[in-house]
Order: sequence, then C-alpha cells, then structure tokens
Amino acid sequence: MSTGPILLVEDNPDDVMFTLRAFEKNHIKNEIIVAGDGEEALHKLLPEDGTPLLRPALVLLDVNLPKINGLEVLRRIREDDRTAMLPVVVLTTSNEERDIVESYRLGANSYVRKPVVFGEFLNAANLLGMYWLLVNEPVPLKRGS
Amino acid sequence: MVGTEAVVTSAGDPARPETGQVGQEQLMALLDHTSAVIYMRDVDGRYLLINREYERLFNVRREEIMGLTDHDLFPVDIADAFRANDLKAFAVGVPVQMEERTPGEDGERTYITVKFPLVDGDGRPYAVCGISTDITERKRAEEQVRRLNAELEQRVRERTAELEASTRELDAFAYSVSHDLRAPLRSLEGFSQVLLEDYAEVLDEQGQQYLGRIQANAARMAQMIDDLLDLSRATRTELSRRPTDISALAGEIIAELRQRDPDRRVDVDIAGGLVAQADPHLVRLVLQNLLGNAWKFTADRRDAAIRLAVETHEGVDVFVVADNGAGFDMRYAHKLFDPFQRLHSASEYEGTGIGLAIVQRIIIRHGGHISADSRPGHGATFRFSLVPGPASWETR
Repeated sequence: MSTGPILLVEDNPDDVMFTLRAFEKNHIKNEIIVAGDGEEALHKLLPEDGTPLLRPALVLLDVNLPKINGLEVLRRIREDDRTAMLPVVVLTTSNEERDIVESYRLGANSYVRKPVVFGEFLNAANLLGMYWLLVNEPVPLKRGS
Repeated sequence: MVGTEAVVTSAGDPARPETGQVGQEQLMALLDHTSAVIYMRDVDGRYLLINREYERLFNVRREEIMGLTDHDLFPVDIADAFRANDLKAFAVGVPVQMEERTPGEDGERTYITVKFPLVDGDGRPYAVCGISTDITERKRAEEQVRRLNAELEQRVRERTAELEASTRELDAFAYSVSHDLRAPLRSLEGFSQVLLEDYAEVLDEQGQQYLGRIQANAARMAQMIDDLLDLSRATRTELSRRPTDISALAGEIIAELRQRDPDRRVDVDIAGGLVAQADPHLVRLVLQNLLGNAWKFTADRRDAAIRLAVETHEGVDVFVVADNGAGFDMRYAHKLFDPFQRLHSASEYEGTGIGLAIVQRIIIRHGGHISADSRPGHGATFRFSLVPGPASWETR
C-alpha cells in the first residue's frame, strides 16, 4: 500500500472540504496536502529553492485553477524527470471533450468528473483511493528519482 | 428570312444582279444592313469607307468623313489606340482580332474588332478593313456578374466570420456553464448531506426532508445543465457523416437501459441491418433520447413494447421509433420539440424537457426531418430521416 501523502490541487474550499471528508469516510489515512492554485502545486512538487521535494503517492488535479491552470501544471509535471512518472488523476467539473483529450494527451493517468451528488463523489473517492493507493503498483522510489 | 428581304427592300431596291455577279451597290447594301461597324482606312489612316452603322454610331455622314483620320474624330488617346491597331494589322498581314473602346453617350463602349490589310498586285498593303461588333452589353453583364460574385463572396466571408465568432462565444459560454455552474450545486448538495449526516439529531424529520428536497433539486439542476450542454454540443460540433449502423447503436442503448432498470420487462423489436450515412455520435444522442423516452413512457405498462424500424418514402429511409406507452395529446405536438417543454408533470415522469429539442437539432443538422404521432394512452410514434426528407412527407 502506498503510504505517501496525497496532493490535492484544488482552489474551491468547499471542494477541498468534501474531498477531505470523502477520504475520511472511506478510511483513507494518507496525509492530504492541499495546494490552492497551480503555482503552489508546482512549488511543492518541483521546488527551485532547495526545499525538499514532495513525493506524493497520488496527485488529484483540478483543471480550472488560479495563476497556472491544471493542464499547464500537468505538462510541467510530465516534463520534469523528478515527477514524470507520478500518478496524476485529473478531478474536475468539466466533461468537455477538449479538456479530456488534452489531459490524456499531456499524460494524465485518469480523468474523473466530480459528481454533483455527494454520495456519488464519496463512491468515486473510494474507488480512486482503492485503486491508486492499494491496487496500483507505482514506480519504485529509487528508480523514479 | 422574311425580315432580311424587308430590310433589303427598304435600302433602296438596288438593281437585281445576275446570278454570280454581285455589284458594288449590292455589297454596300449588305454592309449597311449589318449591326457590325465596318470601315476602311488607307495606310495613313484616312477614311475610305464607312457603313451605315458607323454613321449612326458616331453621328457622322460618309461624305464628311472621307479623307479624315481618327485623330480628327476622337480624343487623342483613343485615336492613338486605333492607329496602333491598324499598324498591327498591316504588320501581321493576316486578320487579327482585338478589343477596342470608344466613348459613348452612356459611357465607354467595347467592341471586338477584326482588322485585316488589303494588298495591291505587288503585295503592298494600301488599306486596312475593320469590322467591329459591339460587345458592350455582354461586357457590362460580365462585369455585373463579376461584381455580384465578388459581393456575394465578400458577404459569405463576413457571415462566416460572424458565425464563427458567435460559435466561439457559444463555445466559451457552454464551457463556463459546464465548469462554473456545477460548482455551487456541488456545495448545495454536499453541505445538505453534511447536515443530514452530522446534525441529524438536532433536525426533526421535516427539517431532514427539506434538506432532501434541496439535494433533489440540486441534482435536477445538474441534469439540466448537462442536457443544455448536450443541446449546445448538438449545434456546435462539426457534423461528420460516416456509414452508421443504426441497429447496433439502438441495441447498445437498449442494453444500457435494461442494465439501469433490470426489473423492467420490455418487448424490444429492433429491425436488423438499419444503416445511414450520418454522424454516429449525434445519431447516438437521437436514439438515446427517442428510445429513452419510449422506455420511460412505457413504465406503467405490463406489456411494454418498443419498436425500431425503417419505412421508405420516395426513396428516402425514414426511421420509426414506436412505443405503446403513455403517449401525448396531439394538440400540444407543436411544443414537443421546444427546449424545456414538457407534456407530463414531473411527478408522473421525470425529465428536463430538453431531450427532444436535442433530437430535433441533430435531425435538422443532418438536413432531415422529424415528426411525431400519438394518442394519449396509445403510445407515441416518432419518424425521422437523416437526409433531406421526401417532399410529401415534410408537409405533413
């Protein structure tokens, strides 16, 4: 089981609360670190000032973000050797074809549309946690860094 | 050739020539009765002969013009051009064709002119003959066509640009609807759920019911937003026609409906081998809505039946989706395809009232036609084509 933290890149505080609640209800104990915009997310994942870099087990990435949008964050994550193989799940409100296509083109591992009904969101969060933290075998740390 | 005879007679009844012996008088009569402008000038450009059309056109008599040159008659630039063409005919030695222009009362006139030199016994040219046909009207018509075409193209370019701009706006609008309108709904729904879970003991049953209603409405609005997005997509996505297996698409959709509603018993009859040259993604939306409606409105029947078939009207395939469900009153049929129009109350059958609006837009984008036929309690039948429909059928 991956015990590393989950990086949640999300600017809507309500959505942050719902996501935290959903993981808690699903007994996912991994620490959840929140980045409120794209710039903050990149600063945590790819610090340029020598801060120790965050190695999350999973990145949950919104698309519509202040400063640097989610797709640009994804592009930079994939461009950098330090983060190229991180599991990134795009978690967004949009079901526009171009967002879906662009996300996959940039190397998203999965694309999930946030359901409006909380019960469905709970279910989605459970499946995401189960799959990416339990079922999926990540790149071993040594080789990935 | 009665007309020709009449004209010859009016020319002054020249002496009847012997067969094969046509004299100068007859030839001059011939020249005078053509609509072409005919003239002869010597090597220095002095007039030797003009026909009646020339006289009429330039308002000059043949007695006056003999010995004059074009420089005595026309503005210098035009006279220069005529002279240059004469010299060209002398130089080439055979008939040459050129376009010439003269000033006229209603603007410049254009002629197509054939010029050829006359040579004496030693082969030396001594005169040039010109035959000019007025092509001004043809030129003007051509010019008019060219101008109209250019204007039309310009208008098409402008309209296309406007359409593209409004499509881009619509696109941006739909995009922001998809993103921004859903977020507040998630908060409404989610916090209602949080209240129900964490504060159940301080809310009485009625309070909890009210929260349930907030949630139901948030979910309903989310569905409406998605349906509106489908509606806008049905309009803005590019239509790409491909051979489409209608039978297979319908089969998939029915399978999805059965999976969602495993307890329903519905007798479904889909004719095999139905194909159309159409956009498969958009046709899927059409079938999803029509079959979904048939499924929904037969919910109260124990012998529910849905049928998909094809009829041929004047060589055009007309697809038929029929059910034996609740049906509707034909008095409201004209409202059927308007967005947000519902012919049943939300408590009877759920729905946002956008489905048939989406269907109609897609059919129209294919150039096809859709019609509905129903009686309350006796089911509904929808007929649609995916190419311009037969004329007799569209007037129904």
